[in-house]
Amino acid sequence: MTHSHTHAAGRRTGTSSRHGGRSAAPVPPQIPARRGPGGRRLLAALLLVGLLASVLPWWLGTPAGSLRTTAATVTAAGRITGLIAGYLLLVQVLMMSRLSVLERWIGGEQLARWHRDIGATLLVAVLSHLSLILVGYADLRNHSILAEVGTLLGDYEDMLSAFVAAGIMLVVGFSSVRAIRRALPYEVWHLLHRSSYLVLLLGYGHQFSHGGQLYRPGPVRTGWIALYLLVVAALLWGRVIAPLAFNMRHRLRVADVVAESPDTVSIYLTGDRLDRLEMLGGQYFRWRFLTPGSWWQSHPFSVSAAANGRWLRLTVKVVGRHTADLRDLDPGTRVWAHGPSGTFTAAHRVRERALLIAGGSGITPIRAMLEELPPGAALIYRARTPADVLLSRELDWLAQERDTSIWYVIGSRDDPGPRQLMSPDGLRQLVPDVARRDVYLCGPPGLVEQSVRALRRAGVPRRQIHLATFEL
Amino acid sequence: MRRALFAITGLAASTTALVVLKGSPGTTQVAQNLPTAQPVNPTGQVVDPSADPAVGPTGAAPKPSVTAGAPSSSPKPTRTTARPSGTKTTAKAPSAPRTTTKPPQSTTRRVTGPPVDTAKGYGYVQVQIVVSGSKIIEATTLALPSGGESDIHSGDVRDTYNGTGGEVVQKQSANLNTVSGATETSIAYKSSLRSAIEQAF
Repeated sequence: MTHSHTHAAGRRTGTSSRHGGRSAAPVPPQIPARRGPGGRRLLAALLLVGLLASVLPWWLGTPAGSLRTTAATVTAAGRITGLIAGYLLLVQVLMMSRLSVLERWIGGEQLARWHRDIGATLLVAVLSHLSLILVGYADLRNHSILAEVGTLLGDYEDMLSAFVAAGIMLVVGFSSVRAIRRALPYEVWHLLHRSSYLVLLLGYGHQFSHGGQLYRPGPVRTGWIALYLLVVAALLWGRVIAPLAFNMRHRLRVADVVAESPDTVSIYLTGDRLDRLEMLGGQYFRWRFLTPGSWWQSHPFSVSAAANGRWLRLTVKVVGRHTADLRDLDPGTRVWAHGPSGTFTAAHRVRERALLIAGGSGITPIRAMLEELPPGAALIYRARTPADVLLSRELDWLAQERDTSIWYVIGSRDDPGPRQLMSPDGLRQLVPDVARRDVYLCGPPGLVEQSVRALRRAGVPRRQIHLATFEL
Repeated sequence: MRRALFAITGLAASTTALVVLKGSPGTTQVAQNLPTAQPVNPTGQVVDPSADPAVGPTGAAPKPSVTAGAPSSSPKPTRTTARPSGTKTTAKAPSAPRTTTKPPQSTTRRVTGPPVDTAKGYGYVQVQIVVSGSKIIEATTLALPSGGESDIHSGDVRDTYNGTGGEVVQKQSANLNTVSGATETSIAYKSSLRSAIEQAF
């Protein structure tokens, strides 16, 4: 495969160039073994047990009959929500530690969803902890609530930082509300979200200096500290040590950048020991291109070809400033990768056959997965115009090689053709056994939502529907 | 989003459930009276249906937590039955030998306040007072924060407030001076004491 001559022609010209996919020819004959939901269930159960265990010290340490006054009851509720908030904060950080166990068993997409739901709960827990404790203490001391805030800030050690931590959490929480998040530039939102680590640090002290259950030395206090250490260790391992080891081993660099369509580029990467890279089609890495302009941001992109031992490829649609810069990458640029991650793979199928639905550039993970799915898969590829169809030559070739049926469905969402096809009846007509297939969906949110609705009505069980989405 | 709402509802519900379960009166009365039960009157005043009506009102304080030497049962239900039986037995009133044994037991009572959590999480304070007639004659603590520095502060609080000549007995109220260096423990002490006094009178 020679990229160099097409490279000059394809880059920056904005016209479609040759299709780089022919070189994907060595189709790995082996189909990955299935991975059941056991790991995910085990982790979910562990987290729940931890939640119970974090409240248990309160239950055991509170003498019966101590909740007779309003102040005592309110304070007790404040302590419970405080313990829950402290635990959930640790869970939140753990989920974002990029620990490979979590990424493999739960998957980045699912983790992100859990992170969002637990995040909302955490915010509520922190706010109720704060207000319940304030009301309870104020009542105990016969203060006004404002005077109580003064007492806490003035006389209590570590309390100022705890208030700051709560403030940061509030900002992070609200900036992640979907509507607000969309209005913010990604970089701003990301920086805000990064400050959550400060919450971990600033909120630490007050739990031990004033936590009714953690104040006294003993197994509970020791256990809580151990939990903190564990999470910090996971964070270090998942975010620093493991990626360092990965990148030292593989030393990825850009080999070539090829235009696939006016607004899409494929980036080919080479590196060392790629034959030992364990990766499944459909998974993604978080990429950091080490150029002066963009080394500081990392973005998740799916790999658009299955592992072949020689090169990696990602295919990216140009939508923002960062992705626009990707067109100008020079061969030889070092790339810092973090992954692989994701459960959108052939290994997570629950049925023998699959239906894949791709929209626009959502074809990239599906293209990689096609090489690893059992024969007999079906692919519906939605695109607005014929020019938006990516990697079509590779797809046609794979269709032949892997016994896959492909339908290109071109047109706007409201055109009669696509509309009829993406309805329950249309899907059943096209793929009569759709209800007995795994369905893999990747594309713009509108298409995904519409398809999920149609699939559910066509009788596809929820657990057979797999989504690849970074939408939080 | 639906799951987040579900989780938040769960958080609120479980917190409420925990507090309610812990504070349910059934468990609190038993647990609280058992250690403090003081068999002042071995005959058991509350189980005696022929209680002298003249003594009854003073002896039978309406508050449930007065320990009256009946460790076998929670005083709440028996107390309420004592009243109708008292009115019913007015005819029986001249049962002289009984009434003569009553007065000494009804004058001295031990009343226990609830355990109160200190606002900084040091531990619980629980106060018990001994009441004679309408006077507090002694104050003791059943629980005080312990361990580390707390031992010193708790000692100061104990020395200042407790005993037959402490500040509680002198002031006969919960308006005590705060012990310097032991603010939180003092506040919790006063809170428990206030409840005990409310129950006693």
